[in-house]
Amino acid sequence: MFDRDTGGASIELRALTKHYPGQPAPAVDHVDLDIPAGELVVFVGPSGCGKTTTMKMINRLVEPTSGEIRIGGEDVLSLHPDELRRHIGYAIQQVGLFPHLTIGQNIGLVPNLLGWSAAKTADRVEELLSLVNLEASAFHDRYPRELSGGQQQRVGVARALAADPPVMLMDEPFGATDPITREHLQNEFVKLQKQLRKTIIFVTHDFEEAIKLGDRIAVLKERSHIAQYDTPANILANPADDYVAGFIGADATLKRLALLRVADVECGQQPGSANLPQIAADASLREALDVMLAHGTDRCGSPSGVLTYGALCEAVGTEPAPAPRLQSVGSGSTPVRTAPVPDAARGEAVGT
Amino acid sequence: MNFSEYVVSRWDTLSLAAGEHALVVGVAIGVSTAVGVGIGLLAHDLPKTRGISLAISAAILTVPSLALLTLLIPITGLGWGSTLVALTAYAFLPIIRNTVAGLRGVDASMVEAGRGMGMSRTRVLLKVRLPLAWPLILTGVRVATQMLIGIAAIAAYVDGPGLGTQIFEGLSRLGSVNALNATLAGTLGIVVIAVLFDLFFFAVRQLTIPRGLRVRS
Ligand SMILES: Nc1ncnc2c1ncn2[C@@H]1O[C@H](COP(=O)(O)OP(=O)(O)O)[C@@H](O)[C@H]1O
Ligand SMILES: [Mg+2]
Repeated sequence: MFDRDTGGASIELRALTKHYPGQPAPAVDHVDLDIPAGELVVFVGPSGCGKTTTMKMINRLVEPTSGEIRIGGEDVLSLHPDELRRHIGYAIQQVGLFPHLTIGQNIGLVPNLLGWSAAKTADRVEELLSLVNLEASAFHDRYPRELSGGQQQRVGVARALAADPPVMLMDEPFGATDPITREHLQNEFVKLQKQLRKTIIFVTHDFEEAIKLGDRIAVLKERSHIAQYDTPANILANPADDYVAGFIGADATLKRLALLRVADVECGQQPGSANLPQIAADASLREALDVMLAHGTDRCGSPSGVLTYGALCEAVGTEPAPAPRLQSVGSGSTPVRTAPVPDAARGEAVGT
Repeated sequence: MNFSEYVVSRWDTLSLAAGEHALVVGVAIGVSTAVGVGIGLLAHDLPKTRGISLAISAAILTVPSLALLTLLIPITGLGWGSTLVALTAYAFLPIIRNTVAGLRGVDASMVEAGRGMGMSRTRVLLKVRLPLAWPLILTGVRVATQMLIGIAAIAAYVDGPGLGTQIFEGLSRLGSVNALNATLAGTLGIVVIAVLFDLFFFAVRQLTIPRGLRVRS
């Protein structure tokens, strides 16, 4: 099958259509999409636009009405559905762990279906538990009901990864967790994917999540029509239409800053950077801007030099406004002092 | 003769009757569980078959036990045969109904996860739905057993086995020697059997319900 290379396989959708019986219109209508091997593509769109249906046709939990699906060049519709699914990782919002089986047994399910030896499965389960940051000795023999929501989600991801499938389908896998846990799981998942380079289709209705996780984003509208399919940076910089722009929201530039690292921009070596508020090299430019705003300054120090407001503007492709225009910001007649501000901030930063 | 003297003097008869009572209930429940759970497994996902089997087993339960036993005499004769057939038939409703409810009540996300991982329909049924439905199925079997223990007493009218003979003999000659003792002994014996069956089901629960389903969530 397509999983001889577990590092990811390309996915092609051609005129993929699903018309549920008894429905007036198709839920998914002639979708064409190419997903390169090893990339994480996020389907994002409003509830009911057909994200789940599109995804479930790929592992044939939903049988397409018409169209073609190829994974690694292989025609998916000619394979046996159960056999196909054993080679595609699948994680869902409700997790769906089996409560009567231990965590170890849950993770070992697909390896068992594939006929792996008990020893190989046991090793793999151990490896996966540590991959998702759960201590094997503590979790292997526990039952799903004894775990928190976030821990269950991790087990869900481990179970989907169990047989090292080249392709993973994930339907809002972090959707049911609280914001803090979700953020944590997202960060871990980004790291994990950097390491694994699987081909992943990730469904969400949360655009922030899409930006954070996606190598590419497919913004979907009704009937799964693709409004735009591009990298997060390109979608934020050049939304294809009002629909996409509306989905991004009013803070597109801030979202673009969030995608960039401090380490990615040129920092001027300037004397006195030690007196500036400091920002870490792996922080985002959005966080750098936050530091500048919080300290009322237009520059902050990073390990590689001084990061200026101008550099932030350049990073998102805009010209920094000249100083006189900055003065007009404020309440009309009151003149705004610009020059002394950095000094004041500098003073505060060193605590004098 | 007071009650305890009566029990001691008739111990052989009483214990044999009690043993037969328990045996006929046990056999009927065994057959009914095997068949009923089987029907539940086959029918739970087929609306028509499910409706028909539930309707039939409910209809059986509305036939008064005396009438059913009498109707069976031409077919299965007096004694054990008719008793067993009638008891087995009465047990179907609680068993099939709980099996179907348990199998259908399994969270859809678990079925989806199982299918999504490449488990076949049958595998999901036997490895996911059945274990998760098992506590409810056991409850159905237990309720059916309690019901049958009572109904089995009526089998005395068709010359069936069990403690019913004691009760009805006593009742039929109430006022004469030992009549009350016989009725009382039969009734008490049935209560004891019911308690013992309940203890048995408690043990079965502990032994067969997966630990993961018993832990607090
Ligand atoms: N099994 C089904 N039968 C009939 N209609 C369905 C079924 N599943 C989904 N739909 C319909 O198809 C459309 C797309 O649903 P879905 O793919 O779940 O959207 P999303 O995941 O984007 O919220 C919706 O209008 C939904 O009501
Ligand atoms: Mg959905």
